[in-house]
Amino acid sequence: MSASDFLILNHVSKVYRRNQSLIERLKKSESGGTKAVSDVSLTVRHGETMGLVGESGCGKSTLARLVSGLMAPTSGEISFPPNASGNKPRLQMIFQDPYSSLNGRWTIEDIIAEPIRVHKLRQGRAAIRARVDELLVQVGLSAADAEKYPQEFSGGQRQRICIARALAGEPEFLILDEPTSALDVSVQAQILNLLRDLQKNLHLTSLFITHNLSVVRIMADRIGVMYLGELVEEATSEELFRKPRHPYTRLLIDAAPDMDTSDRSLHPIAGELPNPAFPPAGCRFHTRCPFAQDICRNTVPPQKATEAGGMFRCHFDLDLSNATVFPAVKARTA
Amino acid sequence: MINATAPLLDVRDLTVTINRDGGLVTALDKVSFFVNPGEVLGIVGESGAGKSITGAAIIDLLVPPLKRTGGTITLAGERLDQLSPKAMRGVRGGRIGFVFQDPMTSLNPVITIGQQLCDTIQTHLKLSGSQTKKRALGWLDRVGLPNPDVQFKRFPHQLSGGMRQRVVIALALCADPVLVIADEPTTALDVSVQAHILELLRDLHRESNVSMMLITHDLGVIAKMADRVAVLYAGRVAEISPVGELFNAPKHPYTRGLIRATPMPSATGEMRLDQIPGAMPGLGAVPPGCAFNPRCFRAEGDCRATIPPLHHEESSAFSCFHPLERVTA
Repeated sequence: MSASDFLILNHVSKVYRRNQSLIERLKKSESGGTKAVSDVSLTVRHGETMGLVGESGCGKSTLARLVSGLMAPTSGEISFPPNASGNKPRLQMIFQDPYSSLNGRWTIEDIIAEPIRVHKLRQGRAAIRARVDELLVQVGLSAADAEKYPQEFSGGQRQRICIARALAGEPEFLILDEPTSALDVSVQAQILNLLRDLQKNLHLTSLFITHNLSVVRIMADRIGVMYLGELVEEATSEELFRKPRHPYTRLLIDAAPDMDTSDRSLHPIAGELPNPAFPPAGCRFHTRCPFAQDICRNTVPPQKATEAGGMFRCHFDLDLSNATVFPAVKARTA
Repeated sequence: MINATAPLLDVRDLTVTINRDGGLVTALDKVSFFVNPGEVLGIVGESGAGKSITGAAIIDLLVPPLKRTGGTITLAGERLDQLSPKAMRGVRGGRIGFVFQDPMTSLNPVITIGQQLCDTIQTHLKLSGSQTKKRALGWLDRVGLPNPDVQFKRFPHQLSGGMRQRVVIALALCADPVLVIADEPTTALDVSVQAHILELLRDLHRESNVSMMLITHDLGVIAKMADRVAVLYAGRVAEISPVGELFNAPKHPYTRGLIRATPMPSATGEMRLDQIPGAMPGLGAVPPGCAFNPRCFRAEGDCRATIPPLHHEESSAFSCFHPLERVTA
């Protein structure tokens, strides 16, 4: 642990249990349940944007809820090392859907003022109102908007209100859970640029969760790739895209269609995402991996550190810097 | 009869309005395009641009208060806009197949997928019982469902999202349509599954040479799938170009803005992100003149006064008074 560490996740797991019957409860039997997050260790440093990517069901949103304290982990620990002043950092969250995360019966002023009142950051009506106006301007809206209600705004504007509300709590740490997935491309670009500016100017540390690799590449300093609850690779953004070490990362990068019209090939990942409740034995990715061998089916791969300070979970040291190194896999789904 | 050069589907001046509190609001404003036989026409735009309304208007599935108020739709020489509702039912699912966005809600949850396929085949192709079942099983196999015999008896909720979308595609194609309209077929799916579905659509398109209208907001999907692309903005056609031209030398400022706003790595691996200021005008709030003028960096007086007409060039068409020059580099 170094002085610059801001958030440390130490072998964090979260199991969602299904409802047990009375007999099961009396017998105190351990009925599996779905391991949504499994043994994730991660460190976020001061002033850094950590990106988390993965497909649906990989546990990235669960991890966000664990970090924000909305849920307690089943095992492992999440800690914020105390900063110079000895206080726990304030954190705020921005959610995916700006339509359901704003209260339609509250004015924008009420919404943005709430964190200020809760944390007693300003005293007196006038001071609070002045702060609300300042925040609205900061996210690209106008002070006059404070009197309006959320339904008078478009999706992009609502997301700006959500950002203003998060900033109102004067957070040191921001958790962004798919903040632009519900928005159109041209609006998404505006919000991403706004977030980038704010992070730079306010020196925020943040956890940026998305399924879109291009978005995370723009936003994050370091990126963690999750698959079925496990963190399979972690590296700096540049390193991850230049030289991915885990086959899943490589396949995920290639699977998203780019805008090159001269090469129209598609690169699907063989097979389908297994049911997260019953992850495959050994390496969780072996059912879809073009490099899988016997060892992958039996043994859980170790965590390996890279010379660049990253981490990956694979039995082999593969050179995956080029997209076209793959042995042909018959893409027949199971 | 269709001859080789005539378009399969010809849409001219398609206008759709919404009756809102007694006033009429235009949702689609004189949209014109055509689809050639065997071609994939991509339709791209942001939400509210009228992409889905265009698709629904062609097969007359508009839900009130939306109403088609003008324009002609011609499929292989036959005017679809003049057909009776009963005749239109024969076209829907028969000559025109439709793939909906959400595979969770576009299948009937209380009927097995096999039965749903058989119903569609029987309605449109009038085959005998055993032939129908054989054809349904064949389609389940063609869209890549393992063990068609087992899958035939399963209900939609027993399948994953990707598998369900395969069934929806089988339903759209099982009655040998001449045109398939796919409305955001991969938007509800994960990246890795999306590539499978796109590959399947492409294979089926190559095998059957069916024409396709691919409606999506994802420029990546357009780049990989479409032959020609129509860009919609606020209910109007901004530009129609062959896919290579559209991405390399867009004519309409909005097209270029949309391409540059999409986060994509450039050839050097560097990320750039140029935003378009403002947002698309909502229904009924379209400014006078060109709908894009408040957000356009090339807008001049004429853009604010007159709606630019669709200007045709050799292979492309655009509606802009001050189009971007095609740089040949």
